[in-house]
Amino acid sequence: MKSKFIDELPVLVKNQVISEETASRIRAYYNSQESDSPNKLFTVFGVLGSLLVGLGIILILAHNWDDFSQTLKTVLAFLPLVIGQILAGYTILKRKGTTWNEATGTFLFFAVGSSIALVSQIYNIPGDLSVYVLTWIVLCMPLIYLLKSNAVVMLHIVFSTFYACSMGYGFNPPTEAPWWFIVLLAFVMPHYIMMLNDRPESHMVSIFNWLLPLSVVITLGAFLERHGELGYLMYVILFGLFYNIGKLPIFDAQKLRRNGYLVLGSVGTVVMLLIMSFNGVWDFEWTSELFSSRAFFMTLILFGMSLAVLMYLNSRQLLQWINPFHYVFILFTLLFFSGMSFGLAATIFVNILVLMLGLITIKTGADKFHFGILNYGLLIITALIVCRFFDTDMSYVIRGLLFVSVGIGFFLTNYVMLKRKKSAVKTNA
Amino acid sequence: MLKTMKTIPVFLIFVAVVLAQLFVPAKMIFDQEKVISKGTAYKFKTAPVDPSDPFKGKYIYLNYELNSAASTDSTWVYGAPIYLSLATDSLGFAKLHRISKDTPNHQNYVKAKVNWYSAHEKTVTFSLPFDEFYMNETKAYDAEIAHVKAQRDSVANNTYALVYVLNGRGVLENVFINNIPIAEYVEKE
Repeated sequence: MKSKFIDELPVLVKNQVISEETASRIRAYYNSQESDSPNKLFTVFGVLGSLLVGLGIILILAHNWDDFSQTLKTVLAFLPLVIGQILAGYTILKRKGTTWNEATGTFLFFAVGSSIALVSQIYNIPGDLSVYVLTWIVLCMPLIYLLKSNAVVMLHIVFSTFYACSMGYGFNPPTEAPWWFIVLLAFVMPHYIMMLNDRPESHMVSIFNWLLPLSVVITLGAFLERHGELGYLMYVILFGLFYNIGKLPIFDAQKLRRNGYLVLGSVGTVVMLLIMSFNGVWDFEWTSELFSSRAFFMTLILFGMSLAVLMYLNSRQLLQWINPFHYVFILFTLLFFSGMSFGLAATIFVNILVLMLGLITIKTGADKFHFGILNYGLLIITALIVCRFFDTDMSYVIRGLLFVSVGIGFFLTNYVMLKRKKSAVKTNA
Repeated sequence: MLKTMKTIPVFLIFVAVVLAQLFVPAKMIFDQEKVISKGTAYKFKTAPVDPSDPFKGKYIYLNYELNSAASTDSTWVYGAPIYLSLATDSLGFAKLHRISKDTPNHQNYVKAKVNWYSAHEKTVTFSLPFDEFYMNETKAYDAEIAHVKAQRDSVANNTYALVYVLNGRGVLENVFINNIPIAEYVEKE
């Protein structure tokens, strides 16, 4: 892309589109950028290499070489660990730079895991997978700040998620919630916030913008125990929180594909509401025990966090009252606690809510001349109709007509907008 | 100058992390060795089956014959600790002396976890903690087959685990079929 553009420069100068001076300035700009890129590639290969070697060592040692004596096996358990530690220590002392930091960090991360696993194997130490993974993560946590390694941060988030899932989603009822997950996640926050402030446009930040909310979405269910019905509410509030975080100036200024909070928040809200638009789901047991449960307590905290972000947006005049995605979680919370006794009324209200979200998304898309948003709105309405297709006792003819009319709606709205866009381009020209 | 001033504290913290990373596996080894050297050896009758662990490799899961005890106490709940005081029967295998909810005042006991309480049969069912025996990946499944075969050939259960017991901890030393270590037995078959 870049080199193609530079190749075009002489042509542009020749045709007097840009001056010679501008051309040389463009060249200088790209050259200064270029010196950075081979280094990046090295880093990626370094990390991938370490990752594969580390995983390979775990597998080779897991073969369990029973011809070896116990002492030799024990030495082998510590060998990768010590090598990794020496390399990482050397990297810190000699300030070897990003590539070394990332590669040695990754290798050391896996070496720690393999040494604990191998000792457990040699001595037949049983134990929960979750406890093992937790020990492993905690022992590697400081490397995030000592080596300033993004690869270690990614491994940290992925393995923390794995820990929470293996603890909370087990076959047997979990005796405790994976509370450590919150601590582990909080630990990377300073690093993440620092990166957001220093380099909000970097690829790493956009990876974290997706990885962090995804990890929380996957893990939240692991905190539920008996009161599963509150899970619906918790997820709606969580997606509301993500949507509002995604609307904070630092994220909203970014491209949509780099803003995981906004995308997950929006899509998540729609999916949750679609689930709740089925009448059968609103069949909850409503006991007073619910209000003293862990799930209720967590719901309150989540709600408080979402409300805080919403109020911040409002104080900065960034809250668009026309856009219900911002505050749909509040409406849903009110509905949830009233809907416990009025199942049918709640179902109808949720259906209206989804319809409203769809229509307003279509309007936003049309106003902004954005085909993606427009069709996302149409998709929301289609999904709602598909859900009702399986749900109600409506006659086939009416359902058929509904589908045909929405299909025509798709064509018409896109066509009208295309025309408007063309005429807008014409008047501008 | 400023750079080296920052490097040294970072490196010192790193050294502390290194020591912690070495300490955890070393402590695991030390704890196990202590039980083996000071504990009492018991033979637990068992039956192996073959699962695997993504990080630690293949192991045989040991189903112990000793997995329940009569109890009139109906307050046992899932996951609660249960302390099993051990004794040896006339054939030299481990047997239950008594169970309790508190730590016994001698050292020959194992801390296990309660699975459930059956009010109908008035028994509490539990899992012994030392139920994973790691084997070479080619032998783990064969071990399960060998146990089933040996079972057919003789009358009584002749597969047992040799476990060292000290103050609640049990260290699984080896598993035997007809008094031969299971890895050797599998090789012979």
